[in-house]
Amino acid sequence: MFVKPFRYERAASLADAAAALREAGGAAKVIAGGQSLVPMMNLGLLDLEAVIDVSHVAEARGVSEEDGYLRIGALTRHLDVQADPLVGAHQPLLAAAASNVGSSRIRARGTLGGSLAHSDPAAELPLAMTALGADYELTDGTTSRTVAADAFHLSYFTTALGEAELIASIRVPKLGPGWGWGFREVSRRPGDFAIVAAAVLVRVAGGGIVESRVALAGVSERSLRLGAVESAVTGARAEDLPGRVGPIEGLDPVTDTSATAGHRHHLARVLTLRALADAFVRAGEAA
Amino acid sequence: MSVDEIRTSKADELRIVNKPLARHDAAEKIAGTTRYAGDLAFEGMLHARLVRAQVPSARLTRRDVTTARGLPGVVAVLLGEDVPNNEISVDVPGQTIAVGALKARMQVLATERVRFHGEPIALVVAEHEDALAAACEAVEIEYEDLPVVSDPEQALAEGAFAVHEGGNLLAEWNIDLGDVDGSFARADVIVEGEYRTQFVDHAYLEPEAGVSWIDDDGVLNLRVATQVVEHYRDIAKILGVPDSKVRVIAPYVGGGFGGKEDMTVEPYLAIATSHTRRPVRMQWTRNESLLARAKRHRNHMRYRTAAASDGTILAQDIEIVSDAGAYAYLSALVLLYSSVHACGPYRVQNARIRAKTAYTNNPPTSAFRGFGGMQVVLGYESQMDELAKKLGIDPGEIRKRNALRRGDRLPVGQEIITEVQLAQTIDAVRERAGEKPEPSGPRLAVGRAIASNMQSYGRLVWLNDSAAAWIGFQMDGSLTIRCAVPDIGGGQASSLAQISSEVLGVDMDRITVHFGDSALNPLAGTTTATRQLLMSGNATYEAAVMLRDQVLAAVAEETGQPVEALSLTPDGITGPDRTVSVTLALQICRRRNVPVEALGTFFGPKGKEVTRELQGERLFPDFTFGTHLADVEVDLDTGQVKVLRYIASHDVGRAINPLSVEGQITGAAVQGLGQALLEEIVMQDGVNLTGGFFQYLIPTAMDVPDIEAIVLESGEGLGPFGARGIGEPPIGPPLAVISSAIADAVGARPTTLPITPERVLECVERGSR
Amino acid sequence: MKPATTTDMTVTMTVNGKSVTRVAGGHVTLLRWLRDEAGVFDPKYGCGEGVCGACTVLVDGEPASACIVLAAQCEGSDVLTAAGLAGPDGELNALQRAFHERHGAQCGFCTPGMLMCATAMLADGRTRTRDEIREELHGNLCRCTGYQPIVDAIQDAQGVDR
Repeated sequence: MFVKPFRYERAASLADAAAALREAGGAAKVIAGGQSLVPMMNLGLLDLEAVIDVSHVAEARGVSEEDGYLRIGALTRHLDVQADPLVGAHQPLLAAAASNVGSSRIRARGTLGGSLAHSDPAAELPLAMTALGADYELTDGTTSRTVAADAFHLSYFTTALGEAELIASIRVPKLGPGWGWGFREVSRRPGDFAIVAAAVLVRVAGGGIVESRVALAGVSERSLRLGAVESAVTGARAEDLPGRVGPIEGLDPVTDTSATAGHRHHLARVLTLRALADAFVRAGEAA
Repeated sequence: MSVDEIRTSKADELRIVNKPLARHDAAEKIAGTTRYAGDLAFEGMLHARLVRAQVPSARLTRRDVTTARGLPGVVAVLLGEDVPNNEISVDVPGQTIAVGALKARMQVLATERVRFHGEPIALVVAEHEDALAAACEAVEIEYEDLPVVSDPEQALAEGAFAVHEGGNLLAEWNIDLGDVDGSFARADVIVEGEYRTQFVDHAYLEPEAGVSWIDDDGVLNLRVATQVVEHYRDIAKILGVPDSKVRVIAPYVGGGFGGKEDMTVEPYLAIATSHTRRPVRMQWTRNESLLARAKRHRNHMRYRTAAASDGTILAQDIEIVSDAGAYAYLSALVLLYSSVHACGPYRVQNARIRAKTAYTNNPPTSAFRGFGGMQVVLGYESQMDELAKKLGIDPGEIRKRNALRRGDRLPVGQEIITEVQLAQTIDAVRERAGEKPEPSGPRLAVGRAIASNMQSYGRLVWLNDSAAAWIGFQMDGSLTIRCAVPDIGGGQASSLAQISSEVLGVDMDRITVHFGDSALNPLAGTTTATRQLLMSGNATYEAAVMLRDQVLAAVAEETGQPVEALSLTPDGITGPDRTVSVTLALQICRRRNVPVEALGTFFGPKGKEVTRELQGERLFPDFTFGTHLADVEVDLDTGQVKVLRYIASHDVGRAINPLSVEGQITGAAVQGLGQALLEEIVMQDGVNLTGGFFQYLIPTAMDVPDIEAIVLESGEGLGPFGARGIGEPPIGPPLAVISSAIADAVGARPTTLPITPERVLECVERGSR
Repeated sequence: MKPATTTDMTVTMTVNGKSVTRVAGGHVTLLRWLRDEAGVFDPKYGCGEGVCGACTVLVDGEPASACIVLAAQCEGSDVLTAAGLAGPDGELNALQRAFHERHGAQCGFCTPGMLMCATAMLADGRTRTRDEIREELHGNLCRCTGYQPIVDAIQDAQGVDR
C-alpha cells in the first residue's frame, strides 16, 4: 500500500531508453502512458530505482501501410489506434479492441506498446494481436528482432522482452477480401476489465467458413488461440455454428471477485459463438 | 401571512419553500472552491497513518515500534498504551442525554487482540507522506492466530468461539402479535422464502479525512468529514480533557450515507495532535476505507407468510439474523429497525418476528442509509409478489388491499398517525410506465415489477432527540443562521435558509448559514436517520417564528397598529396603512430593547424506552411511503441485466426544495440499484478481498437509466410545512423491484444479493424447468 | 545510489493559465503535485486507481486521471482544472451554470472531475445523445446524484455558445 520513491528520467529516443534500462540492470521500468504502471505504484506494488519515460519520444508513433500489413508505432495511443482511418479501413477488429480499453481518459494516455508489454491476460489488445497473428519488432537500441504475438505473451504480466528491450512497432495483417471480424467482451460494468473477451476472424466462401482465427482472453494466463474451435467450424454455415461449438476445452480460468471459473467457461462458449456470428455477417457484407 | 397559514398553505402561495431553487452551497462546489476536510493544509503540518491488522482474529504477541520511531522524518509512533483513555464507547452518537443499556466498547488502538482484518494497532505520525510509508512498513507486529468466526449462524452455534467475552449474541428483538400459528392453520395459501443481503460499503467519493490543530485558547480543533459534530465529547473522553476543550468542525462532506456517523479519523487526529502539539492531517486510502470502515449489515431473512384467497395477509412469521461484525457500533439499533419494518407498509394482525445480531470476525457493521429498514424490503416485497403470483392477483391490487391506513398499527404497536398514500404511489408509477416493452433482440427477456416500502424518518422517540438553531438579523436586514447541523450534500444547510427566508421575508442571497461547528453553533444532533429536516428544520422554523413575532410586536407597539394586521415581507413590515422598512424595524427593536435574534429548540416526539420484547405505542415519529417500478432486460446467455426503465414515487409531505427532493430520490434509487446488482464486500474466512474501486463496483452512468421521480405531496408530514423525510426511503425498493422484475422475465426469483450474472443464469435455468 | 526523495527535481507546468514551478520526485503523481505543491486542491483523491474520475484534469487539452499520471511526465504541459473554468471575476462558465441550474452537485466531491470530463466532451462541438453522454461519463463515479442531473446539465450546455 505504500509508494516507494524512485527517480524519473526522460528518454529522447527508444535507443536512449534501452540504454538506460541496461544501465539500471533490472531496477528500472519504462513508462509510456503509465495507465497500468502508476496504479500499480499507488497500490505499493513497485520497487524501482527509476522510471524511464518514453512518452515524449517523437518516433514510434502513428500508423503506416506496408505490403498487406499495417505498421503501428508502439507509442501510438489507444485513442489514435481507435480513430485511425487506416485501422478503420484495414483492420476494424483492432479498432474495436482499442475502443474497449478502459475509459476515454485511459485511451487518451495509454499506448499500444504499453498495453502489450504489460500483458494482462484479460486485456483486449494482446487478445486482438493474438487473434490477428501480429508480430512485434523489439529493439535494444542497437539490434532488432521480431517476435510473434503468440510467442511474446507468456504468462501473467510476463513477456519475452529482454531486460533492456522495448517494443518499437507492431505489424498487423490487413483484413483480406472475404474476411469478417467479431469482437465480444463481457465485463461487470462497461469499461471494466474484461471477464472474458473473444476475438474472431472468419473467411467465408460459398456460404460457409473456409478459414478462421479464434482467440479468447480472460480464460488462462494469456490469450489463447482456439485451434480446436477453428477446426470445428470449418465448412460451417451460420446456422451450424451453435452445433459445432461445444464447451471449450483447454481453458484454465480463475475464480475471483468478478466471476467464478465455471462462469468464465460458460462465457467462453457464449462469446465465441456470438463473435463467430458477427464475423460471419460481416464477411457476407464484405463479399 | 400568519404562521399557521404558511404551515398549511398551498404551493403557489409560498414564496421560497417548495420552489426548485439551486442550493446556495452548490455554486461553490461547481466553482471548485469548496474546501473539504482533506483540502485544508497548514504550515508545518504532519501526516498520520494507521498500521492495521493483517489478519482477522488473533492475539497480538509483539508490537515493536523502535525501528519505525528511529526513521528520518518520523515524529511519533503511538500504540494503545500511549492513548490516555484507550477506549471508544458507543452509546448512540449525537445524543444530548445518555441512554444507557446499549453500550459497546472498542479500543482506539488494539493492544492485546484484534478481531477484524484492518483493525488499527499503531499510529504513525511523520513530517511527510513518504516517511510515513517507510515507517508503517517498519512497525513490527506478530500475531498468534485465533479461530475465525465468519458468519453469524456459525457465531450463534453451540461451542462457537467467542469473539467477545459474554458470547456472540449482541442483541435480539422479538415482536409477538395475535395468533400466528392459528392463522397459518387457517390460511388458504402459505409462501415461504429465504433472502440474503450482502456487506455493502458506503463508497462515498471522499475517503475519510481531516485535519486537527490546537488553537490559541488551547482548544483541540478537528475539521473532519463527519455527520456528527457531537463526537467532541467522545474525543474529550479519550484524551481525558474537559468536553469544552474539544471542538469539531464539519465542513461540507463528500458523501456520508451513514458511513461518517461513527468516528473515523477523529480519535487518531486527536491523539496525534495532542501528542505532538502540531497540526496533523490524515487521509485514509480507498483501500483502507473499503477494508476497515463499518459496512451495511448482511441480513439473512426467513419469511413465512400466510394469506387468505383474496390476498389479505393473515400472518407473518419472520426470522432475521444479521452480522454485527467485530464490534457492536450501532448493530443493535439497526436490527431494531429491521424488526419494526419487517412486515412492510401492510396491515398485519398476527406476527412473530425473531431478530438476532451476532458478533463475527468480519468488518464492523453500522449505519448506512436505510439503517436495517431497507434490507427487509427484499423480504416482504418478494413475499408479496410470490403471493400475488400464487393467487393470480395483480401485484398492485394485492398491495392496495393490504396497505396500512391512518389509525392502523404496526405489529410492534405503533399507530400510523398520518395519511398513507401508498395506493396513490402505486397508481402513479404504473400510469407513467405504460405498456411493458418487448425484448430488443433474440435471447433477451424483459420483466417488469413494482415494489412498495415504508421507512421511518426522525430518530427513535425514546432517544429524546432535540435540535437547536439560532437566527439573528444583522442591522442591514440580512440574516445569519447558526446551527451545528453537518451538511453532507443533502441540502441540510440550505433548507434552513429556505425555511427562514419563507418566514422572515429575507432574500436567499442575503442569508448566511454557519453550520457544522460544535463550539460556535447550537447543537442540532446527527445528520442521520433522515432527521435533519424534521429536527433542525423545525428548530429553525421555531426560531424564525419567534424572531418574526418579536419584530412585529415591537413595530406594532411603536406604530400603534394591531399586531395581527402586520406582515413581514421582503418589502418590510406591511400594515393596513403603511410599510416600515426592515432596517427601520430593526432600529425600533434596538430602541425598545427587543432582541433581533432568537434561539429555537425543537424536541422530537417522546416515547418509552423499549425492551427486548418490542412493544411500543410509538417508536418513530413517522414514516414515508412509496412505490418503485422497474423494467429490466435479461441476456439469457450471459446473465447480464440492463435496467431499461425506473420510476419512483414517494409521498414527501411537502417538498421544501423540489430539486433536492428529486435529487435524493434519484441518488438513493441508484445506490439501491448498486446493491441489487453490483456491489459486494467479499469476505473469505474473515479476510476482506475487496481491495479497491476496481473490485468494489458501484453504478456508473452507464449502469442506470434516468430515474423518473413522481413526487406526491400529502402535506401530512411532521416536518416543517408538512414535510416528510426523503433521504433514506428510496433506497429500499430497488432491492426488491429488480429481483421481482428478473423473476418476471425468467420465471424464477433471485433471493441473494447482489444479483450477479451467475445468479441470473441460475434463475434462467430454474425458470426453464 | 542516493535514495530517491520527493524533492529530487523541479517540475514546471502551466496550471489554470499560470506558470508554476515546484519540487517533485519521480514517484509523485500529478494529483499529489497539484494539491500539495501547486496549491490547486479541486482535483480530488477518490481511489488512486484511475477508476473514480474525481481527479480528472485536462493535460494539453486531453482528459487525464491525475492520480495515475506522474507529475514529471507533465513538464511543460498545460493543465486545466475545474477551478480554472470560471471567468477572471469568478463568473461560472456556461457548463458550470448548467450544472448549477440542474442541481448537478449534491456533495460536490465528484463535481470538479465531472466538469473536466464534460469540458473535454464539449470541446469537439459534437452534439451527443443522452446515451452517448452517459458513455463518456462512465469513468466518473458519483454516489449522490444518480447521474441524471449531470447528464441534463451537459445536454443543456451542448447547445450553448461559450
